[in-house]
Order: sequence, then C-alpha cells, then structure tokens
Amino acid sequence: MDARQPLHALTWLVWALAAAASVQLAPNPLYVALVLAISAAVVATNALDSPLAKGFPLLVGLGLTFALVRVVLTVATTHGVGDVLFSLPSARLPQILGGFTVGGTVEVPVLLQSASEGLVIVGVLAAFAAFNAVVSHHELVRSAPAAFFELGLVLTVSLAFVPVTLQAIGAVREADKARTGGRIVRRGRLVRQAVPLLETGMERAVSLAESMDSRGFGHQAPTRHEAVGGWLGVGALLSLAGTFLALVGGAPPVSAALLVALGAGLFAAAVALTSAGRRRVRYRPRHLVLTDWLVLSAAIAAPATLAMLSVLHDDTLRWSVSPLALPSVSAPAVVALLALALPAFLRPPNGVAPR
Amino acid sequence: MTALTYSGVAFAYPGGAPVLDGVDLRVEQGDVLLVVGSSGSGKSTLLRAANGLVPHSTGGRFSGDVVVGGRSTRLHLPRQLADVVGFVHQDPEAHFVTDQVEADLAFGLENLGVDPATMRRRIEEVLDALDIARLRHRSPASLSGGERQRCAIAGALVVGPSVLVLDEPTSQLDPQGAEDVLGAVARLNADLGTTVLLAEHRLERAAPVAHAAVLLEAGRVASAGSPADVLADYPGAATVTRLGRLLGWQPPPLTVREAQRHARREDRAGWPEPAARSASGGDPLVSCTGVRVELGGSVVLRDVALTVREGEVVALLGRNGAGKTTLLRALAGVISVGRGSVHRAGPVAYVPQDPNALLFAPTVRRELEQTLRLIGRPDAHQVDHWLRALRLEDLAHRHPRTLSGGERQRVAVAAVAVGGAAVLLLDETTRGMDAPSRQALETAIAEHARAGGAVVLATHDVELAARAASRVVVLGDGDVVASGPAREVLAGSLFAPQVLRVLPPFLTLEEVASAAVLRS
Repeated sequence: MDARQPLHALTWLVWALAAAASVQLAPNPLYVALVLAISAAVVATNALDSPLAKGFPLLVGLGLTFALVRVVLTVATTHGVGDVLFSLPSARLPQILGGFTVGGTVEVPVLLQSASEGLVIVGVLAAFAAFNAVVSHHELVRSAPAAFFELGLVLTVSLAFVPVTLQAIGAVREADKARTGGRIVRRGRLVRQAVPLLETGMERAVSLAESMDSRGFGHQAPTRHEAVGGWLGVGALLSLAGTFLALVGGAPPVSAALLVALGAGLFAAAVALTSAGRRRVRYRPRHLVLTDWLVLSAAIAAPATLAMLSVLHDDTLRWSVSPLALPSVSAPAVVALLALALPAFLRPPNGVAPR
Repeated sequence: MTALTYSGVAFAYPGGAPVLDGVDLRVEQGDVLLVVGSSGSGKSTLLRAANGLVPHSTGGRFSGDVVVGGRSTRLHLPRQLADVVGFVHQDPEAHFVTDQVEADLAFGLENLGVDPATMRRRIEEVLDALDIARLRHRSPASLSGGERQRCAIAGALVVGPSVLVLDEPTSQLDPQGAEDVLGAVARLNADLGTTVLLAEHRLERAAPVAHAAVLLEAGRVASAGSPADVLADYPGAATVTRLGRLLGWQPPPLTVREAQRHARREDRAGWPEPAARSASGGDPLVSCTGVRVELGGSVVLRDVALTVREGEVVALLGRNGAGKTTLLRALAGVISVGRGSVHRAGPVAYVPQDPNALLFAPTVRRELEQTLRLIGRPDAHQVDHWLRALRLEDLAHRHPRTLSGGERQRVAVAAVAVGGAAVLLLDETTRGMDAPSRQALETAIAEHARAGGAVVLATHDVELAARAASRVVVLGDGDVVASGPAREVLAGSLFAPQVLRVLPPFLTLEEVASAAVLRS
C-alpha cells in the first residue's frame, strides 16, 4: 500500500469520536486548548482539496459563537454565588417566562465556569470540524454498513451539490447586478435571487433523478429485510445525533448514556438484519492498513487513559473555579492527549493528501 | 441487426399538443444515428423514450412501442433497461452522483450487481476508451466541460449497453471540448462498434460522424436517410452544407474538405469581390485602457485596451479562460478593475452566460417589466419593442422556465436590453441555440447597432463572428492578440469560418449569394 494514501474514513471517525470524548473527560481549559491545537494541526496536514474541507474555520467559529452566547446568557441569569465583577441594570422576567432576574451582578466564578464549559463545546465541534475536513465523505458512506447505503447515497449526492450550488449563488447575484446596469436594488432582491436559485436547483434535482434512474439505481428491488434494516438505521442515527446534542447542550449524562445505548442497539439490529440479506457488491473496497491501525489505537488510547486517570483521581482533569486557582496540568494526561496528534506527524507538514 | 426500434410512437403531455406523433424508426446495430430538428421538434423526447424516461419519468399519454435489446419500454422501467441503454443527459452537471470520477463510474456497475473482478476490468477499459485515465481521482466539479462530458459518457458506457443515447452532448461546450467529445464518440463507434443515437444542433462536427440521420419536425419524422440527403434541405445544417445548396453542389458537402473539392471545380470568373463592411463607427460608447484584472490570485486580463463605438458589433473570440467573460464584466462594471480605467458614455447592459441565473418572473412579459421597474422607468413601449425584436411575442405569456434553452437565452437578452442601454454585452448567448433562435438574435443585434447602439459578443462561434461582427477582437491569455475587420482577422486563422476556407475572400453565405447573383 502506498504510504501517502490518506487514512481510512473509519480511522478518522474513530479519531474524531476519541477527540470529542477526551474533551468531555478532561474539560480543563488547558487540555481543551491542547485538543483544539491538535485538531488545527491535523487539518493543516491532512485536509483534502474539497470545498467542504474549507469549512473548518467556519465550524469552529460557529462553536465559538454558540459558546459566547451561552456565556452571556449564563452570566446574565446566574447570581449570588461568588465575587461580583461589576453590576448591570437588571430586570425581573414575568413568572410565565421563568421569573428569574436578567442582568444585575456579573460574578467571577459564573463567568469563568461558563467560559470553560463554552470552550468544551468549541473543542467537541473542532473535533468534528477537523473530521469533516480530512475525511472523504464518499469513502465514509461507502464504508458504512449496508443498512445505511441508501441514506449515505442521499448524503453523498447532496454533498456533490454543494460546490454547484455555491457557483449558482455567485451567478445569480451577478445576474441581478447586471440587470440594473451594476446598480444594486435592495427592494425585492431576496425573491429575485432565491427564485432562480430554487428553480435551477429543482431542475437539476429532477435531471439527476432521471440520470440515476437511467444508470440503474434501484435495479434490484430492496428485500423486506433491507427495508426494515434501513428504518432501524435511521432510528440509530437519530439517537446518536441526539447524543451529540445532549453532550454539547450539557444535558445530564444519564440521558446521553441512554441515547447512546438506544442508538447502539438500533445500529446493531440494523446491521444484523441487512447483512442477513443479499450482499451488495462494492467497487474496490479499501481496507485498514498498518498506519490506520496505529492511528486507531493511539486515538482510542487517549480517552481510555483519561478515563483511567479520572478513576485514579487526577485532579487536573477538571478545573474548579471556587476556590479560584489557576488550572494545572499533569504529565500523563498531556501525553494521553498528544496521542491524538499522531495523524499530524504521519504526513509531511505541507502535504495535501492525494485524492 | 436492429438495436433499437420505435414503432408508431406518439406522446403528449396532458392537455398539450403532441410532442411526438407517429414516429417509426430503426437504429441499426453499429450505426451512429443523428437526430436533427429545431428546439421543440421532439428530439429530446424521442431520445428519452429510448430507455423509457418518457413516459415513466415524465407522465403523459404514450402510445406505440419502443423496443431496445429485445425489451419493450412499456414493460420495463428506465432502471431495468440500464444494462442495455446508456443515457447521457444534456447537462453534464446532472450526471454525477459522487465526488470522484472513478467512484462515479462504479455507480452503474454496483447498481447492476456486477461482480467486483469484472467491475474492475470494465472501469479500466472505459477509462482508456475515453482517454480519461488521468482524471480518475479528480472531482467532476473540477473538470472542464469536455472532460466532464467524456466522463459522463464513460459512466453510461461502462455497463456495456447495446445503445448509447447522447442528448446534445456538446451544446454546453467550447469548440475544443465539443471536438474531444465527438472525436471520442467517433472512436468508440469505429473501434468498438458502439451503436449511438445522437441529437445535435452543432452539425459541423457531428454530421461527418453519423451514418444515418433523421429530421424531426413538430414530432414527426420529416425525412430520414443518409446525413447528406437529410441535411441537404435543413436550414440548421452546417455552413458548408448550405453553401453547397446555394451553389447547387451534388452531393451536398458535410465537411470543409468535401466543399473544397466542389469549389475547385466551380467557375468563379466574373464574381465581384465582396463589399467591405463599414468598420468605422461613430462616437465611443464604452472604452477601456490598460485594464488589468486579477481573480483568485491569477492575472486574467493584462493591459487590455478596447473602444466600442456607435454602430459597431464587436465579436470577442478566444479559448476558454482567455478572459472574454472577465473583459465583459469589467466593461459592464459588474467587477472592479485592479488597474486601468473604464469609461462609459452611458449605461451598459451585460447578459450573463446562464439565463437561468436571471429569470424569475412568472411570464416572459413580466420578466421584461420587472427590469424596468427595478431601474424605475416603466415604459411599455420598450417592452413591446424588445419582445418584437427578439421574436418573443408569441411566447410573451409563457413561463420562462417552460421554454427551450435558446428561447430562454433570448428572454434573458430582452430582459437586460429593455433597460435601454446603448451598449449590449452578450456572453456566449448563442451557445446551444437552434437556428431560428440564433437568426432572431442576429437580426436583433444588427437592428440595435443600426439604431446607433453597439453590441459586444463574447463567443466561440466563428461563423457567428463572420456573419454578425463588424470587428473581431481575439483575446489570448489576457491580452488582445488581434483586432480588426472580421475578414482580415479571420483570414489567416486556423479557425477561419467555413465559407472563408472554401471560397476566400468570401466570409458569409450572403456575400456568396449576392456575388453569384451579380455574375449571372
């Protein structure tokens, strides 16, 4: 196997999940910052040359915005727990809206606590943003179990539409400007630009459907097993997405654990049901090679070590804001997190992965 | 042996006029059958009936029968015919389902459940057959039009169909891309004996590839037979074919080489020289000097100067990426220039390449009225004028999206021109247009210039430049490499228009016609 071959999509999936789990296990801002830096390094060294890969800064920015909003809301509504930084005018919401005070005292521990929690959100999002930038979405779909084949195909097709749509948006904007001789008329602009975009998108979608039909998509009708398996697969994905939201949104761990269990159960059922049916032929399936296994083991080792440290009462994993102290680090935890950086070292720093 | 048979095929949308009306047709194994006809003659419908997209995907009333590879489309869905008919859509964008060429080729094979070893071999074969092996890891979005269309053909061919159906495969391409695609089709047919059903507007290249041709008019087969016979009387035929018709050459020539053979026997004693076109215009309407434009880090225009005067029609030629579109956008003020200056004496109207990016109103007439409302100058007279000038009166109440490509292009021109700008900048507006649409547009351009306006046409079509332009400007790699009267600039060129190559110094059929009349 060519050493310059990009890592397998499954390797990246495990890597991203491991990075996100590590952030959850070690929410100390210093550790989270380390994971952020590792994600950025991995993107810098492994990003693919696709339009979606350029979304990393955008997604991290999105996480930052989300975290900031959360900090502002928390600071404005949580009072009476510690030192006051400064005071703002306050208002009491009516009972129907929760009846709590908005504004008022801004307190140091609340600010620090929510900022540190916000950073965790950014860390989790950065892990998935990095995953989005380095993974070949097409390969990801192809390596998915048969139960997810149709769903995955829908995803790849829609991803293939992204660059086309971006181009179309540029063309529509320019056409609108050209129509008035370079003058920008704001009134009704949304309709003038959205209608051609939607109509062109619809025409394309219809042509694509015809084209897929002509190329034999659905040539073999699905069996009953496959149909049921497909629905179970959708259910599994929904539960797992719910888990992600629960983690990011800071819901109690119990609900996240329940959702994960449900998702995993449905997933297993879907895979078992579909594999019992006919096998779908795949063109040139890729297998995990030595590098993949190395990255996989390093990635899994990171959260596993952190979990062990947590059991061993490593106090640096979490940062306590009261009593206030500077966050500190421990060598084992840092080493564990650095294992996540392995993919960044496996390729030349300026090497863009071949497609 | 017959690969594909149409017997008594008729088709109509509910409540509409028949699109196809009693079509009987046989495509012999190993032939390339060329389908010609103006927009709306039923070409696309005929092709889409070959694998059952009509009527299974469109609905509508269908009668008669289409049999391909021994299977009737009445009883089989398009996906069940995927192994016998390879269908390539007009818009190559619409063909790809994945972001990698090689994986996309595998799509059809995976659908049919072909075993992996055969799959591997077939894909390597089509990569070579269409000369796209070096593109296998690329994303279709990053390819040029010609490359993309060849990949699409490979995707249809990979399952080993008995008929390949190509719906205007070159209409969206530049001449180089079109040549590559038609060359590939000719090679597939010659080397592998692939049966091809091909619809085309651009017949300069397609006609010589074909073994047989069918002319459709209003959903009926108007004539069928050898390409030379069918195209002899077809108004949309290649310029050389029409030249042969004009001078009574038998059999009508399909290529420049055939026409040159006839021309050598033609007695041209007493033919007057063609009259020089009035090249000098009036006052400058728009001009630029020293214009330099960089887009995305690369220099697209370097130090370009151009003056467009009253009464001029300027054709802007040059390969893809030479900077034609960028120059138009700079003249129109849609983009700002890095260095140099653009001077406009009055408003300048720019019609972008894709009419679909512009059209949003529910009717053609409303589309024109919208522009006037946007610039705050409602003027029903202008609307009527441009609807008439581009022969859109009969379509005024239709929804722009229900029109053919060429008709949409005309609506886009009208919708921009109605604003009353003296200078019209048209970006590849004749691309994919059928003969009637092109004629309507050419007439409107000439009228506009006569009335004291000016038109700049960015185009790949030297025939259009020869007919319509008073001046030709050739761009190459961001520079003006030639500029002057059409006859002088095009004469020495490898890409000279067909009449000039057959009967120099004549440029157009009209010139030849008047010379031939004057002699007798």
